Amino acid sequence: MPTAMRSKGFIAIALLPALLIFLTFVIVPVFWSAYYGFFSWKGFGDATFIGLDNYTEMLKDPVFWRALRNNLILVVSSIIGQVPVALILAILLSKNSFFTRFIRSAVFMPMVLSTVVVGLIWGYIYHPQFGIANYVLELLGLESWTRAWLSDPKVNMLAISIPINWANIGPYMVIFIAALQNISPEIHDAAKIDGSAGWNKLKSITLPMIWGTVVVTIILCISGSLKAFDHVMIMTGGGPARSTELLATYMYNSTFAVYRYGFGSAVSTMIMVISALLIGLNYIITRRKPS
Amino acid sequence: MSSLTTGSGNSGFSKKTLLKGLSGFGKLLLFVYAVVTLYPLYWLFSSAFKTNQDFFSNPYGLPTEWMTDNIFRAWELGNMGRAMLNSTIVTLAAMVLTIIFSLLAAYALSRFQFRLKKVIVMLFTVGLLIPIHSTLVPLFIMMNKIGLLDTYGALILPYTAIELPIAIFLGMAYMSSIPREIEEAAMIDGSGWWGIFGRMILPLCLPIVATVSILAFLRFWNDFSFALVFINTQSLKTLPLSLSLFSDGFGTDYSLTMSAMAIAVIPTIVAYLILQEQIMKGMVAGSIKG
Repeated sequence: MPTAMRSKGFIAIALLPALLIFLTFVIVPVFWSAYYGFFSWKGFGDATFIGLDNYTEMLKDPVFWRALRNNLILVVSSIIGQVPVALILAILLSKNSFFTRFIRSAVFMPMVLSTVVVGLIWGYIYHPQFGIANYVLELLGLESWTRAWLSDPKVNMLAISIPINWANIGPYMVIFIAALQNISPEIHDAAKIDGSAGWNKLKSITLPMIWGTVVVTIILCISGSLKAFDHVMIMTGGGPARSTELLATYMYNSTFAVYRYGFGSAVSTMIMVISALLIGLNYIITRRKPS
Repeated sequence: MSSLTTGSGNSGFSKKTLLKGLSGFGKLLLFVYAVVTLYPLYWLFSSAFKTNQDFFSNPYGLPTEWMTDNIFRAWELGNMGRAMLNSTIVTLAAMVLTIIFSLLAAYALSRFQFRLKKVIVMLFTVGLLIPIHSTLVPLFIMMNKIGLLDTYGALILPYTAIELPIAIFLGMAYMSSIPREIEEAAMIDGSGWWGIFGRMILPLCLPIVATVSILAFLRFWNDFSFALVFINTQSLKTLPLSLSLFSDGFGTDYSLTMSAMAIAVIPTIVAYLILQEQIMKGMVAGSIKG
């Protein structure tokens, strides 16, 4: 039998590498950025302590507020664009057959592609000269709708949200299929005996049964949209005139291109605070539900 | 359905045909949806084999002449071989570290009671919630100070760090389903904890190793933001970073850029076609825990 001492040694050595890497590269940076947020620093030489100046500058910067607004647009558009579509697909595809497997794997496919490739392809799809987006609109007789999708500030956030939705519907669909297949066959039988079918059954039986899963997917949508960075970086870089800036691209663009590491740290800390607030809000809202 | 319709005769029959008609229409809609979903990929691959003139005059059809030459030119000009090698090195190294470290930690956390256990589990839970982009600036400053910037390590270590929490939680959940009697038997045989872990637990954990590998592979292989910030030297650039620069450098040579993208995408698509069931399950397990 291993002695208590040997167990202790084993626990320490088994935990050490994971803890060390995780603390150094995830937890410690959080404190570093909180600390550097109070400084002005160009990346070389001495850092000067400037108190809350970085934060007041950020809060007075209209681009910061536009970035925050754009992030919220992405949150809303992914909740509206991903959850219902994924749910409908899941209901239609929940039975296993060759056909449903084929459609499922087609819908899931974009998820495994690199975000850079997704961004580049969709950048071309929106291209004013040869992009298929405008071509399809012309075919449908909607010439007046054609435009430079990624440069028109009225629509460019919407245009950016479409590829993000396109790439992310797959996992939610699979989550919903798993939840639907977990509903016991007795419930389906009972519904049949009651003569409940179609929309009625969906509303009064299926949806309540998987409501917990719907809440989870909405939470995943929110946290996923706050992580958006790559697609915007590739498609617009935050432009034109910073109209598609997200919090993460705002952080990137106001740090590395202009050598303002103190300000960038303050923005990073702000991103952390905003996500903590949203996660907390989420927690409160979802807890209040009796189910 | 059949048990119900036998009793209701004629009306049941008509209901059944109505449902069948609907599902045929539904199938068509689903098929159209799938085609629309796959269209960008079709466009990518068909454009990859066009000349630039062909791409402009005939952007949506199949190539009039298949230019396999594009692939070789893109491979050469984009230094894709080097980029693929870099991506492979970084991805594999980070995967190995993630798997070993997370399984060890998961074993310690799922099988033993000790004082700091709750704190450590809490810490990893917080790690799941931290938005990774907010670590870019401080990590850049930190790695600059210790001279890690612009090396493979600048990617391998942060990749491992961000993947550890989810890998540990998946590992813990899986290990709690392994009966403790197995270890008790091994203890009677005189094995120490290392022996038990290496000879009994690891082999039993292969399914969860597969899930963690899939999640880690997709995240590391496709990562753009860390490579963008931490890597500057041309010869160290990974595939996604090289691609983004390629599209800047050869901005007007669209079919060549599409060729470069096709090269980058083929390995993941092949892996997906072979392993799709596992990939779907793995990503769903990862996203729900995350």
